[in-house]
Parts: sequence; C-alpha cells; structure tokens
Amino acid sequence: MSEPSFVRFWGTRGSIPTPGHKTRRYGGNTSCVEIRHGDFELVCDGGTGLRELGLDLVQRGRPRVSAHLFFSHMHWDHIQGFPFFVPAYAKDSEIVVYDVEAGRPRVEELLHGQMRSEYFPVNFGDLGAEIRARTFEQNVVELGGVTVRSFEQAHPGKSFAYAFECGEKKIVYATDSELDLLLTNQDEAGEDPAALRRLPAALVAFVEGADLLIADGQYTDAEYPHKIGWGHARANTVADLAHQAGVKQCAVFHHDPLHSDDAVEQKIRAACDRLDARGSRTLLFGAREGLELKL
Amino acid sequence: MPKTGSLDPDSTLAGQISIVSGLPRGGKLPTLEQVRGPGAPRRFPLAIAETVVGRGQQANVTIDSALLSRRHVVFRRSGPELSLADLDSQNGVFVNGVKAHSAVLHEGDTIQLGDVVFVLHEAAE
Ligand SMILES: [Zn+2]
Ligand SMILES: [Zn+2]
Repeated sequence: MSEPSFVRFWGTRGSIPTPGHKTRRYGGNTSCVEIRHGDFELVCDGGTGLRELGLDLVQRGRPRVSAHLFFSHMHWDHIQGFPFFVPAYAKDSEIVVYDVEAGRPRVEELLHGQMRSEYFPVNFGDLGAEIRARTFEQNVVELGGVTVRSFEQAHPGKSFAYAFECGEKKIVYATDSELDLLLTNQDEAGEDPAALRRLPAALVAFVEGADLLIADGQYTDAEYPHKIGWGHARANTVADLAHQAGVKQCAVFHHDPLHSDDAVEQKIRAACDRLDARGSRTLLFGAREGLELKL
Repeated sequence: MPKTGSLDPDSTLAGQISIVSGLPRGGKLPTLEQVRGPGAPRRFPLAIAETVVGRGQQANVTIDSALLSRRHVVFRRSGPELSLADLDSQNGVFVNGVKAHSAVLHEGDTIQLGDVVFVLHEAAE
C-alpha cells in the first residue's frame, strides 16, 4: 500500500468570508484546501482559510515550510489569505506558485498586486520566504512523486481544476466552475430536472475514478436560474458529474455566502437523495472547515 | 463600593457566567451521548482536555466492543473548540457518515466508531 494522503479543509465558503453563528458548522473562511503527501505540502487556493493553515504549519513546528500553491484563479476569495500566510514572512520558507499558462508569471504578479501599498502595509518584496513561479507544461507538472494536471473550466475570466496523483490516490480540486453551462444534454436536462446532467467527455475523463472530488456546488436548483453566468454550479450537477466519473467521495465546496448551515445541509441532502435515486456508489458530503480526510 | 475598573465579587454574576476560558457558560460540559452500541444509552461528559475512547483500560472512556481499537479516538477541548482525531484505529471514525482523520466538531454531530454511535452536545447538563 502506498503512503497515505491527507486532505484538510481550511476554507470552504465561496465569494466572501461569512463569519458568525449561522455558518459555524461549515465555516466562514474562503477557499483553501491542504493536501499532504509524504513531505509534500500542496495548497489549493489562498482564500482566508490560508491564514489559519499558515498558523497551523508554524504550530506543527515545521522548521522550514516548503509549500506548493495552486490557484484555481485569482478572484479575491481565492487569494485574500496570502498576505496573512505567516510562512511567507519566514526567511527559510520556500513557496512555489504555479501558472498553468506559459508566458509571464501571472500568478506571482497578481499576488504582488494585492500587496501594493494602497491595499496592504507590507510589500510583496519584503516577504522573507523564497517565492518562485513555475509553469505547467502542456497542462502537467511533475513534482517527483506527485503529478499534477490542470483543466480549464467555465468561469468569468476562466479558472482551472487540478488533479493530484499522489501515489495510487487521485484528488481533484475543481472550484469556480459553472458546470451547468457545459451540459451536453441541455434540452433533456432542462425539461426533466431529474434527468442525469451529462458533462463533456474530456471533463468526465479528467475527474474519472477520483478518490476525492472537491467541487464547486454553490447553488440549489431553485437558485441557479437567477445566477446564470456567475461562474458556479448547482450542487445537484456536481452530484451527477461525480456519479458519471465514478468518483468515490465528493465534497461539495464553495458554499454560497447567503447560505446558513441549515441551508447548506438542505442543499447537500438534496444532492445525496439524487445519488441515492440512481443507486450511485459515490459518497457525497458538504465540505466543512476543520475536516481532515486520510486517503 | 468597588473601585472603578475592578470587579465586585458580590455584585457580579459569578456562578451564572463562567469567565474561565474553555469552560462553556454556566459550567455545562460538552457531552457525548452514546445512542448505539454496548452500554447505550448513556452520556460521557468531556471533562478533561483530552478524552480517549477505546476498548482498552488505557482509554478514559472504555466501551466493551470488539469493533473498537484499544485507543480508538481522542476528543480534544481547546478553548471553545472541540475536535477529534482518529488514533490509527482499525475501523475508523465517521463524522456524520464521512470517514475522518480529524475534525472540528459542532452541536448535533454524529460520531460512529464500529457499532458505537455518539451524538455530540456542545454544552449539556
Ligand atoms: Zn470563488
Ligand atoms: Zn471566481
């Protein structure tokens, strides 16, 4: 058996942080997921959850943090934690940020931009850590033990999903993706909400057989018609993708800032019922801050 | 009359509000309500910082079930936060049906270890 991977949710909220008693259970921090595999510290997105991950890394007493940061895209809710990521201030830390597309290192430039003096008191250049930019080659990057693949998604300004192959395990992080714009059976799915929402073969293949799929399922079916084009999917459509791709576990992610814990729970229950009705073997749940899985 | 800025023990709400960090209001303790498995129904208050549940005598809460490891899971209290961590148990720890390595816990969470099921109450009597 290969080495296990650990996945921890540090921020699961979409769009904007939502502190307060109504969101305690699922959490109010924005997107940040940690994947640990052997010595690898892989971080998906730098929303406000990244701040707490940074504090935890320091507390774990890791003398030297070496982290790989993968950004789905650079909208606020995915980068806002970076200026508060304590390891970035430590001289002996090493942080690699990844660009999917070749050309100028855009991710680093944008992280830089949000720390301009008009926005933030500390300059990017004053961060103590060694921060390097690295680019995917033809949608793949090899870290020597972990292979990461990228996949372009439907989102205003575009976003990317990442598939991490850690030993025998496959973990897919796919947030900020409007799956509902991609359905290959739009007419059938529009007429019959219960019909399986079919997704393009390339996307299904990208997700195929994942041990864990973490996917944006911000909206209920009832809400979505008012949010078309905003870049997020219906939780029920995520369930259908997970089922089609034979995913073992699916964590619905990027919860709507308008949703209380009870509302998230209702959304998740509906998606689970949908899978049950199909006799699906996929286990679906709502991604929740502070939950750590061992795969 | 108390001096300005100091607390008068006679007129403050001592005994009604706990100001000791980590203790819930009114001194109510977080509690595991065992709803299934050997010995159920019963309640285990989480009175100490770390409570180990398992089949063995080294656990703080011992439950006589062959499906539990000797030291199966630990419940931790840190300030107001409650969490659990699987202690490399044979059969795993399921929080609301999801197999968890560790988790921050909230009111009403169900926690399953083998044939034992708990419901967590953040501040029960
Ligand atoms: Zn977002
Ligand atoms: Zn976005």
